[in-house]
Amino acid sequence: MTFFAPFTIPFIVGSIVMFAIIATKWITWIIQLPKVDRRLMRHNLLTRKTLYAIWEVIRESLLHVRIFRVNPLLGFMHMSLAFGWFLLIVVGWIETTVYLGWQMIPLQGHVFFKYFAPLNGIDTHIHLFDHLMDALLLFVLIGVALAWFKRFRARAMGMRRTTRHRLLDRVALTALWFIFPARLIAESITSAIYGNGGFLTGGIGGWLNNIIHHDILVALYEPSWWIYSSLLGAFFIALPFSRYMHIFTEIPLIFLRQWQLRPTSERKSYDNFEIAACSRCGICIDPCQLQSDLGINDTQSVYYLRDRRYNMLTLKVANNCLMCGRCEAVCPVGINLSTLRLNSRAKRRNIPHEGRYKYFAGIDRSNGSGKIGYFAGCMTTLTPSVQRSMEKIFEAVGDEVWYADKDGGVCCGRPLMLSGETDAARKMVVYNTDLFRRYEITTLITSCPICLRVFKESYRLDGIEVLHHSQYIDRLIADGRLMLDASSEVFTYHDPCELGRGLGIYDEPRNILTTLGSLREPWHNRDNALCCGSSLANTIIDDQQQRRIAERMTTELDATKCHTIVTACPLCNKAISRTAHHPTQDIAEVVARNIHQNC
Amino acid sequence: MAHRVVIVGGGAAGIQTALELKSRGIEPIIVERDIELGGKARGWHKLFPLFTPAKDIIDPLIARLREERIRCFYGQEVTEIASDGVVLRSGERIPGDAVVVATGFTLFDAHRKQEYGYGLYDNVITSVDLERMMNSGRVVLTDGSEPRRIAFLHCVGSRDEKVDQKHCSKVCCITGVKQAIEIKQMFPDADVFNFYMDIRMYGPGYEELYRSAQQDYNIHFIRGRISEAAETINKRIQIKAEDTLTGRPLRMTVDMLVLLVGMSANYENKNLAQSAGIPLAPNGYFRTQDSFLGSVTCEREGIFFAGAATAPKSLADTLAEASLTASAVCNYIKVKYTK
Repeated sequence: MTFFAPFTIPFIVGSIVMFAIIATKWITWIIQLPKVDRRLMRHNLLTRKTLYAIWEVIRESLLHVRIFRVNPLLGFMHMSLAFGWFLLIVVGWIETTVYLGWQMIPLQGHVFFKYFAPLNGIDTHIHLFDHLMDALLLFVLIGVALAWFKRFRARAMGMRRTTRHRLLDRVALTALWFIFPARLIAESITSAIYGNGGFLTGGIGGWLNNIIHHDILVALYEPSWWIYSSLLGAFFIALPFSRYMHIFTEIPLIFLRQWQLRPTSERKSYDNFEIAACSRCGICIDPCQLQSDLGINDTQSVYYLRDRRYNMLTLKVANNCLMCGRCEAVCPVGINLSTLRLNSRAKRRNIPHEGRYKYFAGIDRSNGSGKIGYFAGCMTTLTPSVQRSMEKIFEAVGDEVWYADKDGGVCCGRPLMLSGETDAARKMVVYNTDLFRRYEITTLITSCPICLRVFKESYRLDGIEVLHHSQYIDRLIADGRLMLDASSEVFTYHDPCELGRGLGIYDEPRNILTTLGSLREPWHNRDNALCCGSSLANTIIDDQQQRRIAERMTTELDATKCHTIVTACPLCNKAISRTAHHPTQDIAEVVARNIHQNC
Repeated sequence: MAHRVVIVGGGAAGIQTALELKSRGIEPIIVERDIELGGKARGWHKLFPLFTPAKDIIDPLIARLREERIRCFYGQEVTEIASDGVVLRSGERIPGDAVVVATGFTLFDAHRKQEYGYGLYDNVITSVDLERMMNSGRVVLTDGSEPRRIAFLHCVGSRDEKVDQKHCSKVCCITGVKQAIEIKQMFPDADVFNFYMDIRMYGPGYEELYRSAQQDYNIHFIRGRISEAAETINKRIQIKAEDTLTGRPLRMTVDMLVLLVGMSANYENKNLAQSAGIPLAPNGYFRTQDSFLGSVTCEREGIFFAGAATAPKSLADTLAEASLTASAVCNYIKVKYTK
């Protein structure tokens, strides 16, 4: 058999172009990886991590387990398309090998096997493969049908909104939608002519044979294969330029990630893998409060990654994000959305004027002495009752505390980092680290989750334990050092983004509150908690828009009919008190007013 | 029989409207939420710009009200208004041929600007607290000593988006100047600082007073809002601000910080407006028909406004407007009932 027919040309050209482009991209990206990343790759290549990666590829690239968790129907759609197609290729290859023996068969020979060897099933009287291939085709077609259905009724698949696509994506999408119906038609016509095929193509073929004249079927035979091949070719050529690049890119991404490569606050080549691995499924759109509360429709992670990939990213899109992490929590590909967004802000890095931070030299407004350091943070200084409460707690347990910024200190640096001014932020990091070292503290407590996050992620504070005040208080209670009076007070707790999704601190504040009274959860809580809208990360929305986000969020807090709304971030506290109908307090304030008095 | 008009609120606006209506042969009824008449002006020490004792204005007004035997309900809150009367919280209905809304304003709650430490630090007070102190004749720190350095902060709860008070409260600038002078008269050796964004001296004699504060009393005016305040160990107040004219940050320790609190719309305006089917302005005050010929009327005939229910106003403006309201009510009744 020659395995060549003119209609296969679109397919052959398409696949060669596609593989060439993908290979070029991957090789370029890997060559451009920084040394550290390449060392990590070498180091981890021959370890168990590679096996984990293979397992993850099966789970995520083929079965799409994480999307199943968002919505089973949506998961089934992605699985039937990916896993179904994969099986069609694998089983098709086995089929040809079984019939023709172990020999070199060109790619189109496998794909268009039915065309080249229409009589195989009849020759051998084995219909097993025909039925199997038909079953797989049906499996994929169900996925295609669901994809069509999703375009019109996204809500039924658990998505209120789907992505708006670019032209090339639409071309690829349309080709993809019709590839499998075209295959069904081509194979059915073949079956009609040769009288073979499994339950599906054979069944339709028999029916076609009854209603359409044999000559017409013969006339349609070649064109139907042309259509199928052309659709494949079109899809393949569009693929590397469209969102479907994710099909192949997710695989190396999983390996690189298992080998411990991560994006950083500086742009690097690794980012390309993450960016191209976005399938633009649009699952990140619904959780975005800028979308649901403000109707902003062009800045969600899917659009951000798209714009960045095609070099049309504007600062407005890069900056219009609360970095609350709600999208990252649901991203089925596990893309580090916040870090990527952050490092594209770093582009407009402003190198601070030489003299601008000179005043750091020699200033030290800290006071007190002790191995425990307390860093209130700017926002806590603006909510002085939180600081007061902490002082009361320190006093109650008799801990000696060194106050880093009671009379004014230097910013932790995170606000500057969030707006991309990493060099200026670095100066503050150096100043504060030096200050902490000089006073030889062993524990650093802060009341601000924003400061806490930067201490943990961007400072090198080896030997100093960094704690949020809720962790410290929780520990005091557990150790029996702080006695509190329990009452019948009902609390509702709001998870600050930086503390919860950012640092995974969910339980400590809840432990404290259940010691003091009872706790009622709002509808969205823990890793699904809503953002207060006042995030420092967003420099685009205005005060009224921030307020609207807060309003929606506090409605849920008020709905619990609690006595007191409690949070653990001074910024959230400000945002909530603006709109809530219940008194709002920081967890430190609640604790301070319930300290057991020994008399 | 005389026509009857229900006036909601027994402050300066309500009293003056009642007196003017009475003189035109109409029978006014005042419904006051408090147990006393006089509103916010009662308890105020002296009035700008001529340091007129507030008593000299309010007491005669109340006395005339008594002479005229105008009926007043005390301790009664109005929950619904309509053009033909009002409904009290008790459910009782007071009918009338027209209704005047003279409900005034609410003082901005300084606790909401926690960064200034009101209620948290001993020697942070509001402009209203200072008037009360001056009324009692003793302006002292909590430890009983005299203040030697005093800072006034303008625009607390005015022109501040963060607390949803976008409007200017109009009277605090001149109040700040007046109080600074009074402090200086009491303690000539004290240092007095006024932190402001803009100084808005819109009334007759105001600008002159502002100039006098600088030239005759040596009061320091610093353009820049205070960003935060903290209490020192000896109960003094450390403030951080930016002098926006020199472009430099500054830190200063004072004995007393006076917050010039602004005027907010009453929370209850929402329900009252809803009951009457009339709109509120975005800042929560009642919306008048227009700012020119319809400044005391609204879209609904028979409902009128007087005083700070529609916008921040000084006492002088309020009294002037009340006469206008009375004349508008009078015309309305004449046209409606003489057919």
